[in-house]
Order: sequence, then C-alpha cells, then structure tokens
Amino acid sequence: MQGDIVAAAKLIGAGLAMIGVAGAGAGIGLVVSGAIQGMSRNPDLYGTILTNMILGIAFAEAIAIYCLVIAFLILFVL
Amino acid sequence: MEKTRKWRWGVNRWLVLLFTVLSYLAARFFPPIRPHIQVAAEHLSTRPLFSLPALGEVYLTNTMVGIFIVDMILIVGAFFVNRAVKSGELVPKGLSGAVEALLEAIYNLTESTAGKWAKVIFPYFAAISLIVLFSNWLELIPGVDSIGRLEPSSQGYAVRQILPHVFALVQGETQGGGYLVVPAVRVPSTDLNFTVALALVSVVMTQVIGIRAQGLRFFTKYFNTTTLFTKPFFGAIDFAVGLLETISEFSKILSFSFRLFGNLFAGAVLLFVVGSLIPVFAQSLVLLFEFFIGIIQALVFGMLTMVFMTQATQGHAGEEQSQAAE
Repeated sequence: MQGDIVAAAKLIGAGLAMIGVAGAGAGIGLVVSGAIQGMSRNPDLYGTILTNMILGIAFAEAIAIYCLVIAFLILFVL
Repeated sequence: MEKTRKWRWGVNRWLVLLFTVLSYLAARFFPPIRPHIQVAAEHLSTRPLFSLPALGEVYLTNTMVGIFIVDMILIVGAFFVNRAVKSGELVPKGLSGAVEALLEAIYNLTESTAGKWAKVIFPYFAAISLIVLFSNWLELIPGVDSIGRLEPSSQGYAVRQILPHVFALVQGETQGGGYLVVPAVRVPSTDLNFTVALALVSVVMTQVIGIRAQGLRFFTKYFNTTTLFTKPFFGAIDFAVGLLETISEFSKILSFSFRLFGNLFAGAVLLFVVGSLIPVFAQSLVLLFEFFIGIIQALVFGMLTMVFMTQATQGHAGEEQSQAAE
C-alpha cells in the first residue's frame, strides 16, 4: 500500500517537474520569431543571425532540460 | 540522368517495405519488452579495475566502451586524413576532402567571432564538436543499447534461446525472477561523467585563455575593485556584479553538462519507449530526429565554448569601447 502511494507520488512529481518546460517553449518561440523577422528584413545577415539564434535556443532549452533531468532523477533514481 | 534517379528511388522504396515487413515479423515472434532504464552507467566488470583515493573504486562501465569506440573512429580517421594530406596532392579527395571542408567551415565560423584568437580557440571548438558529434551518433548504430550480457533480476523478463549461447528477452511469465540485459555498449553522452568532464575542460580552458589574453587583469572580471575607491556607489555595484560572474562560471559547468546529458538521455528513453510501444517503423522517425539532435547538440556545445572563450579574450575595456562606439 505504502509502496503504491510512493510510486504514484513519484509519477505526479515527475509530471509537476515538467511544468517549467512551458516557459522554455515560449522562450524558444520568441527567439525564432525574432530571428526570422531579422532574417527577412536583412537577408545578408542570415548566417550571423542563425548562429546567434541557435545559441539563444540553447540557453532557453537548457532550462527545459533542467526540468527533464529532475523528472528523470525522480523517476529512475529516487 | 533522369533514368538512374528513378531506378535508385524505386529500389530504396522496396527496401523500406522489405525492412518494414521484416520488423513486423520480428515483432510478432519476439514481442518487444520495455528495457530497464537506469541513469547511472551499468558496470560491465564485477570487480573494480582500480581504486582512486578521492573517487573510490572505478569499474569498467559500458559508456567507457562507447567512448573507446568513438576515440578509435576519430583516431583512425585522423590517421587516414593525415596520410592523405602528407601524400602531397593539392586537391584532397574522398574522406580527406570532406574533413577539410568541415574543418574549414568551423575555422571560418571561429575567425568571424574570435578574430585574431581563432588559432588558439579553434582546436577546442573542433575537438569538442567532433567528439560530441560521434558519441551522439553512436546511438544510430544497431546493437548499441540492446546487445549485452544477461543478468538475473527480480523485475526481469523471460528468456528464449534463439542460437547456441544467444538468448533474447521475451514477454511472458517468469518463474522466480527473470533476466535483464546489461548493454555492452552505451552512448557516452548518456553518462553524466562524460558531459561533466567535457564541461570542466571547456570552462577551465576558458579561464586559461582569458589569463593568456589579458594577464592578471582578467581577474577584475570576478573581483572588480578598479572603481571601488574612486566611485564608491557604482564601485560597490560593480563588485557585486563581479561576484555574480563568479557564480555564473560555476553554473556554466552545470548547464553545459546537463544540456548534453538531458538531450541525449531523453532521446535514448524516447527510443526505448517508442520501440516497445510501436515496434514497426515508428522508431525510424525517432532515429532521424536523434540524428539532428546529435548534430545540433555537438554544434551548440562547441559554439558556446567558442563564444565564452572569445568573451574571455576581450575583457571589460574592449566592451566599454565598443559600447561607446555604438
């Protein structure tokens, strides 16, 4: 009985930990939107903007990955 | 031209259909199981290889086998490319031509960002990108993560013998504990030790390059006392900002290592789950996705290293001048 409650709490906790991914998704969307506007206004800067866009996505994505790692730790390690 | 393209496309189409049917038959005879998912790398040796004073006992793990394979691929490739370059032909062909194009693209990217420090920063960028790229792509090889030795476990599965000394895990009832597979090779990037080691190399060498470029003035980034006595109020703010920079250096290690580990481990778990739920064809699409994730994560790891190193060579004075110029 108690083991079942602990297992259920693990699943709920892992789900709750993934809430933070929503913010990272919005952030990545904003980054790409801004980058594409910049590219369409100034196609000569395509390469520079693409590089910086990937860097910005990586920073925003890192937050989502923290949530993912915490969820994995809850599910498979604890 | 038209004819050849049409012919090749036709053969590939039938090959895809053949493999789909084959995987359907395989899934009928050997119903897929969900593999055991474990964050820490599995031990291959039962006894420790050696023990270190601070780290404890060191076992041979399956990610070590993975990184050994990646190193062998890179070293053998470097050997062949080196021999092709030494042979004196001005126009490189085949593998050496591809490597030259890749390295030239990376060098141009470094030079456009780092300027005159490109020669110092380029080796770190190229080496980190290549080793991360190949260790990510190890996931695409069939047999990685799925072939290994059997280990008895309480939550294991039943086994069925298919060849002499070769067994397969199958679904079904087990009498008194089944077996789990300990994979012989696992993707190195799904081991936190590998990613933390790369992140430490990246961050520590950033400090070394910063000191080489600016001398002891580099440390005013962290303990900023230059304006503390001339302008007390803003000087105090600058000092606090310096302390925050110190913390951000440590968080760089964390974010570097967790980004790579999280992406690749999530990819591996996705492959396991999709493979056990839909055994036919669906995993191919996930593998294509993992192929791109592998490229992007390798590029991001290398490029962030390059950008941080470039920032370390520039320092405060350069930043203020460029801001004033704008």
